[in-house]
Amino acid sequence: MTFFGTLVHLFLPHHTNNHRSRILHIDALAAYVLLFAVFNFGIRTLHRSMPDILGYATDIHVEQLLASTNAKRQSLGLSNLTLNGKLSAAAARKAQDMFEKNYWAHNSPTGSTPWDFINGAGYRYTVAGENLAKNFSTSDGVVEAWMASPTHRDNIVKSSYKEIGFAVVNGTLNGEETTLVVQMFGSSNDSIAVAPTKAPIVPKALAAAEEPVPTTVPVEVVPATAPATTVASGNPPTAFLGVTLRPLINIPTLTRDIVFVFAGVLIGVLILDAWVVSRKRIVRVAGHNIAHFLFLSAMVIAIGWVNRGALL
Amino acid sequence: MKWTGLSQLLILICILAGGLFAFYYVRPNADLQFTIGTITSMAYVLWGIIHHALKKDLHTRVVVEYILMGAIAIVLLATILKT
Repeated sequence: MTFFGTLVHLFLPHHTNNHRSRILHIDALAAYVLLFAVFNFGIRTLHRSMPDILGYATDIHVEQLLASTNAKRQSLGLSNLTLNGKLSAAAARKAQDMFEKNYWAHNSPTGSTPWDFINGAGYRYTVAGENLAKNFSTSDGVVEAWMASPTHRDNIVKSSYKEIGFAVVNGTLNGEETTLVVQMFGSSNDSIAVAPTKAPIVPKALAAAEEPVPTTVPVEVVPATAPATTVASGNPPTAFLGVTLRPLINIPTLTRDIVFVFAGVLIGVLILDAWVVSRKRIVRVAGHNIAHFLFLSAMVIAIGWVNRGALL
Repeated sequence: MKWTGLSQLLILICILAGGLFAFYYVRPNADLQFTIGTITSMAYVLWGIIHHALKKDLHTRVVVEYILMGAIAIVLLATILKT
């Protein structure tokens, strides 16, 4: 078979392929499923053994998160949040606890709440809140995702918060390499007393301190209790200040490119196959090409919306 | 009521649009997105089987083709969401 003949055999309905493009035959479709399953397994295995070569590019740092968070607040006319060492220590302890006990939740499997970590760090809050994120690649990506989620956004733009703490750390969660970002908000009697008196903000903050109001999850307004026995350091631990990973091959970019090229070829051949069959009035037993085209197109659109990161 | 090809295609478009809406709505929760993608793929396979059964041209190889198309979508989503 000539080169041109091979192309026709692969991509166009022809008598050599029983009037169905060869790459759309059932055995070919089954081969794609198998190949991608092997590819996925291979990527995971290689990533575990050679994370510097095949990994997840990450650049998330506390100072960038703080700047982005405050930029969002400033754009809404709210005051800047001050980085608080105790809240950062609480966030670091929370991140550590999530890796140690292997959970992705606001409350630990043993019943510890975010407020336990804040109290444990010695921060006596009047109002407090927590945002969680994992597996984002940039600081701006984390803050943008939080802003796109109504409950997380509520925390970021809450006027009664005066201080903030962050922890950014890499570890293994549920068997997967995970970059966790813990953001803890708070306002204490001390911070209210020393907060800059900006007219629209302070009355709300004081009101929240005097009469707690119901707020959305994951925010809670409760009176501060005495610090727990495990008091963390008031300074933010340096190991939790940021994560920078620069692998030779970035897995999300690689997989996305491969998936888009593969889906594009498949969609293109489906259109070509349907056009030739319709033009030549070929009658055959096969699935509906237009339906396959619509289905795969919807999947490609969906993949365009995928972000590896998750919020809680 | 007679189910024409066009009305069946409209049903498929509704299924896919619903899946896309749900997929977008739950972002950036990758686990939920994968679940929605899987459910939409299963709905597509079911639609394909019903569509061909109503057209009276349902054959085993057509069923297998729809199942494999659904499996391709799931494995591609897994490539993006789970690796």
